[in-house]
Parts: sequence; structure tokens; C-alpha cells
Amino acid sequence: MSAFSTQALAQSKAVTGRVTDAITGEGMPGVTVHLKETSTAAPTDEQGNYSINVPAGGGTLVFTFIGYLNKEVTVGSQSTINVSLASDSKTLNEVVVVAYGTADPATYTGSVTQIGAEKLAQRPVTNITNAIAGQAPGVQVSAGSGQPGSGPDIRIRGFSSVNYANDPLYVVDGVPYTAGLSNLNTEDIASISVLKDAASTALYGSRATNGVVMITTKKGKKDRVQVNLRALQGVSSRAIPEYERVNAYEYYPLMWEAYRNSLVSATVTRAQASQRATADIKGLLGYNPFNVPNNQIVLQDGTLNPDAQLLWEDDLDWEKALTRDGSRSDYTVSFNGGSEKSDYYVSLGYLNEKGYLIKSDFERFSGRMNVNTNLTNWFKAGVNINYTLTNSNQANTGSSTGFVNPFFFSRGIGPIYPIYQHDPATGAYVLDANGERVYDLGGSSPTMTRPVYPGRHIVAETEWNNYLYRRNVFGGRTYGEITFLKDFKLTANFAADITNYEEQTYENTQVGDGAPAGRAGRVLYNLTSYTANQLLNYNRTLAGVHTVDALLGHENYSRSRDYLSGSKSGEVIADNTELQNFSTINNFNTYLQEHRIESYFGRANYTFNDKYTVSASYRRDGSSRFYKDVRWGSFWSVGGSWRLDQETFFTKPNWVDMVKLRSSYGQVGNENLENGDGSQYYAWQALYTLGQNNAAEPGFSQATLGNRGLVWEKNNSFDAGIEFALLKNRLNGSAEYFKRTSEDLLFEVQLPLSSGVANRIENVGAMYNQGVELRLAGDIIKTDAFTWNLDVNWTTFKNKITKLPYPELVSGTKKLKVGEDLQAFWLREYYGVDPENGNALYRAITYNEANSKIIGSDTVTWNANNGRFHYAGTAIPKFSGGFTNTFSFKGITLSALVTYSVGGKFYDGQYATLMNHGTYGGAMHKDMLDRWQNPGDITDVPKLQVGNTANLAAASDRWLVDASYLNFRSVSLSYNIPAPLTTRLKLRNVNIFATGENLALVSKRKGMNVAQTFSGTTSAVYVPARVLSLGLNLSL
Amino acid sequence: MKKTIYSALLASAMIFSSCEKEYLETAPTNAVTEENVLSSTKNGMAALNGIHRILYLQHNGSQNQGGEGSMKIMMDALGEDWVQTLGTSWWANEHNWTSHRNATSSTTYNHAWYYFYYRIIANANILINGLDNATGPEAEKQMIIGEALVYRAWAHFQLVQAFGERYEAGKTNSQLGVPLLITSTTEGQPRATVEEVYTQINTDLDTAIGLLTGLGNRPAKSHFNAAVAKGIKARVALTMQNWPVAARFAQEAIQQSGATLMSRAQYTSGFNSVENPEWLWGSKMQADQTNYFYSFFAYMSANYSSTAIRQNPKKINSVLYNQIPATDVRKALWDPTGASIPVPAGGVKAPYGQKKFLVADPNLSIGDVPHMRLAELYLIQAEAEARQGLASAAGSLFTLVSARDPQYVRSTRTGQALVDEILFQRRIELWGEGFRFLDLKRTNSALDRTGKNHIAQWAWALTGGNLRVEAGVKEWQFLFPQAELNVNKAIVQNPL
Repeated sequence: MSAFSTQALAQSKAVTGRVTDAITGEGMPGVTVHLKETSTAAPTDEQGNYSINVPAGGGTLVFTFIGYLNKEVTVGSQSTINVSLASDSKTLNEVVVVAYGTADPATYTGSVTQIGAEKLAQRPVTNITNAIAGQAPGVQVSAGSGQPGSGPDIRIRGFSSVNYANDPLYVVDGVPYTAGLSNLNTEDIASISVLKDAASTALYGSRATNGVVMITTKKGKKDRVQVNLRALQGVSSRAIPEYERVNAYEYYPLMWEAYRNSLVSATVTRAQASQRATADIKGLLGYNPFNVPNNQIVLQDGTLNPDAQLLWEDDLDWEKALTRDGSRSDYTVSFNGGSEKSDYYVSLGYLNEKGYLIKSDFERFSGRMNVNTNLTNWFKAGVNINYTLTNSNQANTGSSTGFVNPFFFSRGIGPIYPIYQHDPATGAYVLDANGERVYDLGGSSPTMTRPVYPGRHIVAETEWNNYLYRRNVFGGRTYGEITFLKDFKLTANFAADITNYEEQTYENTQVGDGAPAGRAGRVLYNLTSYTANQLLNYNRTLAGVHTVDALLGHENYSRSRDYLSGSKSGEVIADNTELQNFSTINNFNTYLQEHRIESYFGRANYTFNDKYTVSASYRRDGSSRFYKDVRWGSFWSVGGSWRLDQETFFTKPNWVDMVKLRSSYGQVGNENLENGDGSQYYAWQALYTLGQNNAAEPGFSQATLGNRGLVWEKNNSFDAGIEFALLKNRLNGSAEYFKRTSEDLLFEVQLPLSSGVANRIENVGAMYNQGVELRLAGDIIKTDAFTWNLDVNWTTFKNKITKLPYPELVSGTKKLKVGEDLQAFWLREYYGVDPENGNALYRAITYNEANSKIIGSDTVTWNANNGRFHYAGTAIPKFSGGFTNTFSFKGITLSALVTYSVGGKFYDGQYATLMNHGTYGGAMHKDMLDRWQNPGDITDVPKLQVGNTANLAAASDRWLVDASYLNFRSVSLSYNIPAPLTTRLKLRNVNIFATGENLALVSKRKGMNVAQTFSGTTSAVYVPARVLSLGLNLSL
Repeated sequence: MKKTIYSALLASAMIFSSCEKEYLETAPTNAVTEENVLSSTKNGMAALNGIHRILYLQHNGSQNQGGEGSMKIMMDALGEDWVQTLGTSWWANEHNWTSHRNATSSTTYNHAWYYFYYRIIANANILINGLDNATGPEAEKQMIIGEALVYRAWAHFQLVQAFGERYEAGKTNSQLGVPLLITSTTEGQPRATVEEVYTQINTDLDTAIGLLTGLGNRPAKSHFNAAVAKGIKARVALTMQNWPVAARFAQEAIQQSGATLMSRAQYTSGFNSVENPEWLWGSKMQADQTNYFYSFFAYMSANYSSTAIRQNPKKINSVLYNQIPATDVRKALWDPTGASIPVPAGGVKAPYGQKKFLVADPNLSIGDVPHMRLAELYLIQAEAEARQGLASAAGSLFTLVSARDPQYVRSTRTGQALVDEILFQRRIELWGEGFRFLDLKRTNSALDRTGKNHIAQWAWALTGGNLRVEAGVKEWQFLFPQAELNVNKAIVQNPL
């Protein structure tokens, strides 16, 4: 025996080396190094080093590690072999998170896109939804908002509801999340799964119609102890510039002309009107910002007095006065590790985001601890708790036309009005007793009254008012899991998310809605949701070829929101916003809202020989939103997949690694009746609103009619797709077709106003979305030193309404009609400008001598009321998606995510407002310089004329523009410090990076927030922020 | 063994946690179910108070829809005696006669008017038709139903005046009025004729007067009693040119109301308190029921600090003002120089600006809104008597005007001249209280804003530059709102 061993030793040699991660360059512990076709094997140590004896004649070493691609190296004469292992994420071998568990993507029958932590590591995003844009086919993401802490909206495979939510269900660590996604620290997130079809979502039953976004937080990795530090420090600024507006020198003559044109009549000649306009225009605009007399600002030929110089040129930029250099600091330290039996992940995060708009910020402390342990070989338990504290000042953009909305005010104010008071004669700043400048509230002197936003001042109001909240969120997930009879697993989960929110508002005594009394208010609520479920899993492989996987479950969901609001007015002493410092109660109210769902569900998957898989899901939900006789509904799906590459009859070319066909069909539902005000928890009941007291007498009045037959909206979803991996997994991708049909829509059916109630919620109406989505990813160039990876996705879909409660319904810029899509614009048809008189012309409904003319064969009108409406295109793009280019050279990686949208229309209402034809004091777009001025002028901008904007700038397809855009959503440049250096520093890995979010938006018009909504409309909102950051990821 | 126990525990948890039936039963805490409302007269009374409150709630989330107070502003904005300082603010479209003629918008005043009064009718119908099984004192039930009937009548009256062509006595008024809603239904109803609508209004008022007569004191002046119901009946009769009925009911209302005319001191105290002895019916507002910037006083008072008041204080027609004798206390309600107006800080002191309406506390926009004053009843009585040629007319007028102007001499005019004098008194007495458009329409008069202190730029009606609307043209009728036409196919739109 010993002789034999000695002989074996004599014939072998030692091979040593280090195994590193191909992406991070970090040494990999625990990698198995195995001599092929023998039992000889060795693990790597903490630094990734190994040593193994191989026969003198060599052999082949196989390096394996879970989640990484195997690597084989022929030893030959080498004695040192260093290898790097590539992560397996691009193949389909990683598990994906799906409803109530995980799935093997190799056989999974549903449609799911998973976004891993590596896609999030360098993103300076406060709200995780920002990281979804452009990453998944079939997913549309809006532009979002620059409001610190906010995230964009998401639509998965089109729209399913007309009146109610189209947002997906957000599930965090297995439980529908009620706390708001800005409470999650991006660094804590391990993966985001987007579930798109019935096979993947049916287990969420009555909440699954709009798809499900599953967010999973990090767990500790076994066999290591690791400390990570992530630090990001950045600056933020406005990503989309303001619209191009005329300056003061251009503005005065334009307004003069608008007024002059309105004076011309049968009895007043143009010359007389010009004379009067020159005399009156200052009186109408209120301010003379120039160093020339009031009646000589604009000459009688309509040009600005050549001597006119601005008296307060440095004090006209309201946008600048509201803007600052924003900043963003984001730090997380985390510990993770584990032993054979237990694992843990603990993190602490601090985020401080100062928006580019003054008085808007978001400060967040977050902590998380996730511990799992196998107490015995049959009992496992874990707990995952998190706590978040947020303090935030919010910009007051709640109303898009509110005087307190900084974007509305600064966009709309004419370019002649100063921020501070000036001496009308000299232009000098007026100073107060302390020598400070004084805000000009628009009526500071009898000779200076501002006709636009009179008595209001956005800078003063933003500075002097408060609008802030403080929010505590506690979340916990815990489970116990028993494995028994070998193949069974029984799991009990309990989860709670508890939000305590306190909002404080204060409106000052000097200017604005609170003046002169001063007002203060509080909103407090506690939002608590519980989910408890019990799951029984069975998993068995028989005879090596039959794999059966089954799940049975029961779940209770309960959400309650306890709400209090109160406000008082009449400030007693200054600088104290506590309510006892105010004298009069304006309102004081509380309520409790509850929502509950109880469910039974099951799923079964059967796979034969890794080739054929069939699956079926079923869920029965009872919802408290509906009347007891009808509240239980059933939801289901069936699906199948076929691994073509595993077939023996199919001689696959050797460049094909994997081909999978799959398809699913099922019915899911939507019971979400919340439409912003959250009042629809009791929709089946006929209700009277309490608290409608008549002076001191108690009172209530009719609110809703109720509908005892009301049930969930149904969505039938078909999906068929192919997934493939080619060229040794260098290229992989998928192509899918989907058709989602919604029926029995939850519809706010309009009632005759004469019934006294405007609408009632009924199940009526139907529509479908069908489309195709593609994804292709691969290494275009791949050498040892350099890799160029391109990951592209592309989606196209159509929406069509097939049933409505009435033939058609006009709503804003849209008209709902069977056969049209939900986002189809219904607008007057703009014809152009009449060269004779500068009128705006619209295609006419009928010929009417008083307001119409015939041009060629077209009957046109200059009276907007006679303008003919037509369908003028849709807000749904022809196609959209995202692409990511990643270039890696040695340790340097440059990655750029660009989202795109092609086709579709955008109704630029903000531009339309700036193209008004004479609102005294209102700002104007530069395009107004191209207006019609004299008979014979050929232009597409009608004449200026005060009081005629309704006709000259009526809502029409004139304001529609191509909605195509290209958004450089995220670019990052990172560098991995080489391993030898990090080892010397006793660090496992050091990665430094520079990153930019929202670097550039290319669209048809400067200033246009083209992706603000999915309906192709825009308003004065907090324009998205551009964030430039430097970052460091460090682990030891 | 342990494993089996744990499994059993978990399994039983799974079974038993499928909770009791009540788990899915939830109910709101800030609302009451309809069954509950109709179960007792106590709750019925609360639902009636809900209607009173509708008169000063915000509607449609709109800043210029603060209930009946806003409807009153609309009625004056359409006329010629209510003059703006600046025409780019709230009520500009109403003043320009485009708001009530907009067939497509849901934010214009035809929509506001229509929905507001039908909400009142719907709330009233539930009480009128549903209290049969309610527990509680019979007298209370009678009061609830009686008041609800007055509401139903009054709301129909407001509607038919706006949407129907004017009622003409002496003919069958077969022109289309508005849908008559006397039961709760969501089925779209056709327009009843103007005649039918007035018949129902009178039936409801007569029934209500019967129910309310002999009941104890009403809880507050926001409620109706028999006297107020008679006052409304008098208004209706005046509009129907049924002079004898108008005169008789006005007189009965005067006698039974217990109201007395204001003293001169009271007259200039701001028209903001329901405690005023001259008010028969009014909405009382409390601080914790503030209606912020949609309140009547946020537009119509002289001293509340809203943008609308600072920049666009309301003024009186200068021609009308100049006819008021200097000895008349009403002359003090406006200031031809503007100097004496107690404007909020930064406010414009406009010539001919009003100071009739004042908020009691400049920090709050609230103020009680008068819906019926004794003065109106004297004016109704006087006009109805004058139109019948009765000699008592000048006396009825004298009772009122002598209380305003100690120098006033009993009128010796007769015939149309006397009627004209009464109508002049009506314009100055009821300025800003929501009568002008309805008076122009019922008397089939033209609107004429020429030659007054209107700023032509902003005072046009129908089309830019036009300051006159002839009597009887189609624009005197509100257009039915698009939201009604969308789903009520039985409605015929007024001529566009």
C-alpha cells in the first residue's frame, strides 16, 4: 500500500495557481479544482490559491464553482496555472426568483426577466424603479421625476385598466410591499425579477394583471466573511433644460403687437391702434424694466426703443433663483458571510440627496439584517428585518398649475419681472432696514403691478413655507421550514411592513395661500400590512427522468391605514410651526381604511428528462373590496416548455447550445380600485360621507351608489417564446409574442349628472394588448484583454379597445372608442395660418359664412368651436427598449445604458401654453418670433392677438410632436484595482467608478419632458435630475 | 418525533388560519351606509343637514365652485351691474358668456350649475322617498321631508331658469326645460317641458308648506320653515309672472318670518352673519368648515387677502351707482374713489369698488351667505302688486326703501314707471346676491354693458368687443354639459 503511494507520488508533480473572478479580479475561495477523470480534487483557499498534485504527464484541470462557468485547462508542462472564472449569469443556469419560490430557467414555462445586483452596483439611484428602465423587454418606464426619493412609473406589456391602476404589483422578499420603494437601499438588493405572463404571475391571482416586480434582498454567502463598503458622492442638476423662451427685449414688442392687434377694428385703424398700444402697453404689463419712459418702450412701428436697456437684467432668471447645485451622498457598509449551517447579511446605509431645486431633499438611514439558519437537518428558519428613517423636504409640485409649483411659476412668468424689488426709476435694488434685498411680490408700488401671478412669489413662498415629511418604516420577514418525508417541505412565513408617516406643512403670513393669517397642518398615518402564509412543497425526481414539483398554499393579507389630518390658521408668534401656535382649527379628521385578501393556491410542475415541462397554477382569492356573495374569484394558468436542444432527433449544429420553446395561457385579475385618493376600499357599498356638518349640526351626504355585483377585472394572457444560447453561450437571447386581453374592466361608468352622482364602478369594457419583445445579448468582441458586450431589447405592442359602456367618451386630449387604442389622441385638425390675416385655421365641421372659408377643396374655419376633431395618432410608440454597451479592458469597464422610443405622439401642452397669443405677463416661447405679422406672411405660427388665444392656440394636433427619444440613462466607467495591489492592502476587491444618470435626452424639442407619462401628455413637474457621481466599492 | 409535532402544528396553523368569515368584512370609518341613513329620523336629519352643507362645499375640485355662493357670483357675473377690475382672473369666462355656453368642458359653469342642483335633488329624493320605515318622532320626519321637498323644488327652479327658455305667463310653456327627477334613478331622463317643471315645483312647495306649517322652530336659519318655503313660492310665482300668487306668498312670508329690516348700522356691517335680523335663510359657516379660496367671500368680499380680491376687487356699475341718492345707506356700500375700501395688504383700491361684503376675520375666508332676505320679499310683493296695478305697491316699496333712506318719499309713480323704480331698487338692494341674470331673463331684458365703468377689454359678452346681448336670443339658455349628453341619450341640447 505504501509502496504504491510512493510510486504514485514519484510520478506526480504539484501545480499551483490562483483562481480569480473574471469581472472583479478578486480571488475566489472555495473553488473546486478537480483533475478530470480522477477523484483528485482540491479547494482554493481564502485568497483563491490552490495546489494540486497531477501526474507528471499532465492531465486536465476542471475549475468549478456554483454560479460560474466551469473552466478546463490542459496542464501539459505548466506548473503554475492562474485562471479566472466567469459568472454564469448570461447562461440560463442561474435560478430566477418567481412567485413563492425560485425556478430553473432551463425549464421554466413563464416569461420573466431578472436584473441582478451587478446591474445595480454602480447606479446612484434612490428609488429602485429607476434601475429597471431599459433593462427588460416588454417594460415601459416613464421619465420619472427629479423630486428626491421619487421613482418612475412602470408598465408591463401595455395597459389593462382604463380608470384604475396599471402599475405592477411590487413584491419584496416574497410579500406585496406597501411601504414605498424609496425605503429600499439599492445596495441591499440582490435581484429584481419582472414577471410578465400568466404562468409567472397567476399565483398572485387578483393582483397580477399588470405584472409583478419581485425584489429580493441580499443574503450572506456561505464559507466566507466579507465586509463591503459602497460609497457614492455626486452632484445633481436639471436633466432637461427649460423651454426656449423669449427675453425681455423680444417680449415687450410681442406683447405690444398682441395688444395692438386686438385694438384694430372696423373703426380703429392699425395706425391708431399702434399709437394707443405704445401709450398703453406698460400699463398692461405693469412693469417697465427699461431705462426709457413708459410710453416710449415700444415705438409705433412695433420695434423696441433702440435706447432701451434693462434696469435689472441680472434679476430676471426665476429658474436660476430656484436652482442650486444638487448633491447626492450614498454610503452603505455591509457584512455578509456564513457557515455551513447559517448565513447572515447585515447592512447600514446613509443617503443624503439634495435636489437641484431649493428646499427639496431626501435623507435616509437604512438598516437591514438577514439571518438564516439550519437548526437541524430538517428545520430551517430565518428572519430578515429592515428599518428605514427618512426626512425629506419636498418641492411643492403636487398641483401642476399651482402657484406654489416652482416649475409652473418659473416657466410661466414673463421675462420682465424681477425677483427683488427695484426702484422703478433707477433700477437699483430696494433694501430693507438690514440692507437686504426685498422680494418683489408683484404689487410693491402703484406703478408696478404684475398681471401674472399677482401677489405671489415662488422664491419667497418656497423659502418661507415648509412641506416636509418624516417617515419610519419597519419591515420584517420570518419563516420556519420543515423538511419531512424526504421530499416534502412545509414553510410558514410571516411578514409585516409598518410605515409611520408624519407630514408637516406651513404656509407663511407674508405671501401666498397662507397669508395673511399663516397656516400649519399635519398629516399622520400608520400603514400596516401583514402577510401570513403556509406553503407545502413537494419535490421529487423519479427514475432520474421524472421531476415533479408541487406547491400548496394558503395566505392572508391585511392592510390597514390609520390616518389623521389637521390644520390650523392664525399664526400667533413667528417662526413656530407647532399647531398650538395657531388660533383657528380649519379641519381635523381621522379615518381607518382596511383591505384584506385571503387566498388558497397551488402549483404543479412536471419535467420529463429535462426536455419537456408542463406547469399549472391555480389561486382562489377573496377580497374585502367586493360584496360577500361574489368576492371569491379563481385565477389560473397552464404552461409548457420544450428544450429542443436536448432532443436526440434534432441534430443541433454545434454552434447552438440551447434552444427552448415555451408557451403559457391563463387568467389573472385586478382588484385594485385605488385611483390616487385611496377611497375605493368599499366600492360595493352605497355610502354617505361623514363629517358634512352644517355649522354645529351633524351631517352627511351621498357619496357613492355602490355595486353589489362588482368583481375583479379579468385579464387573459397568452405568451409564446423562444429562448436560445449560441456560440458557446457567447450570444443569448429570446423572442416572445404576447396577447393580454382585459375584460369586465373596473370602469368608472359615467352616469347622467342629473342622477346626482357622476359615476358608478361597474365591470364593463374590454381591451387587449398584443406585441412582440426581443432580447439579444452577447460578446461582440472577446479577447483575453478586451470584451465588448452588447445587450439589446426591443418591444412593440398595440392596444385596442374592444368594448365600452358607451359608444365613445371624450376625455381630455383622448377619446375612448371601440376599435381605437387607449392612448389615441382626439384633437382638432390644425390646418395652418391664413396668410391673409394670420388667423389659425382648423378643418371645419360645417361651412358657416361667419367663420369659415374654402381653400381648394378644404373647408376651414378660424373659430375653434367649428374645428373638426379627428384621431391624430397615439402616444404608444412604434417600438421602444434599451441597449447596454459594456466595454471591458483589463480591469477597466465602460458601460452605457441608453433607452429609446421610436414613433408615437406627444401632446406638448406646456409648449402650447407658452405659445399663447397674448396673456399679459405670461412667458412666450421663442417660436413666437415666427408669428404672422403682415398680410402675405407665410408661417405656421398665427398672429398675436390678446383675447383670442382660444381660437389662435386651441387644443389641436398642432401641439402634437413626434415622441421619439433617446435617453442616455446611465453611463459608468469603473476600474478594478489589480489583485496584487489589493492583496497587499489586505483587501479582497477595490472598484472605483464614475457614473452619470440621465446624461442626455435627445428629443424633438428642447425642454420637452417627452417621457413624463405613458399617455403622451406633460405638465409642470419636477424635471428629472442628472446625477454625476464618483463611487467606490470596496470589500475585505 | 419532534418533527412530527412541528409538522402537525404547522399544518394545523395552515388550516385554522383560514380565518373566520368576518376576516373579509370591512367597513369605512369615514362614511355611513345608505341603509343606516334611512333607519332613523335622527340620521335622516343628519342627511338633510348634509344637503344644507352642500350649499357651501367645494364641488368638482374647482376653485370657483364653492356651492351656492359661487352660483350667486355666476348669476351676477353674467349681468351688467357686477364690474371687474381685472379680467384675467376667475369668473372671466363666466362674465364673457362663454362658460355657460361651452358644450364640451366639464369645468365650465353649465356643468357646475347642472351637477350642483341635481346633487341636491338626488340627496333630497332619497329622504323624500325613503324615510317610511325610519324610527323617530313623526314631527321630525315631517320636517325632514318638508325641507327636502323645498330643496327639490328650489333646485329644479334654479335649473329650469338656466337651461329652459323663460316662462311666459298666458301661454302653454311647452318649450323644453330640464329633466324632472322625483325618484332616485341612474337612467337618463328626458327634458320635461318648462310647464311641467314649474307644475312639479309648485306641487312640491305646496306639499312642503303643508308639512312645515305648525312645526316647532327650525334648528337654524340654514333650514327651511313654512315662511321660507312661501318666500321661495313667491320667487317662483314672480318668475312665472303669476302676480297675485307672488304678492300673496311674499306677504305671508314677510308676516310669518319674524324677520325685521336691518338698521342702517347693520346694513354696513358686511353681510356676513346669519344672525342678521333681516335674513330668512342663509348658510352659516364655522371656522373648521372653512372653504378656503372657493368661498363666496374669497371673491366677493373687500377685505379677504385672496389674489382675486387684491387684484380684481368687484365694483358696481357706475351708472347704477350714480343714481343712488346720497342719503341712502346703500350709497355707502361702494366707494366711487375706492379710497375708503378696507383692502387687504397689497390690494387695489378700485373706484366704485364694493364694501358690501366683508369677512368678519380677515384671516379667514368664511362668511355666512344670505339666500333670502326680507328686503327681497318686499321687492317681490311690490313688483307683483305694481304689475297688477295695485295701489299698495308703492307702500310695499316704501316700507323697504324708507328703511334704507330716511329721505325717501313714497313713490307717486304708477304703471311701468313704478315697476322700473322697483326694479332699480332691486338692483341696488340685491347687488352681488345672485339675482341679476335671472331678473334680466325673467323680465326678457337685454344685457347692456355699454356706457358704464366696464373695461371693454374684459367686459365683452359672447365675442370680443361685444357688450350687448339682446333679449330672448339663444345664449340666454345654458348649454347642457357634455357629461350629461355623453350618457343621457334622452337629452336634447339647446340650440348651440
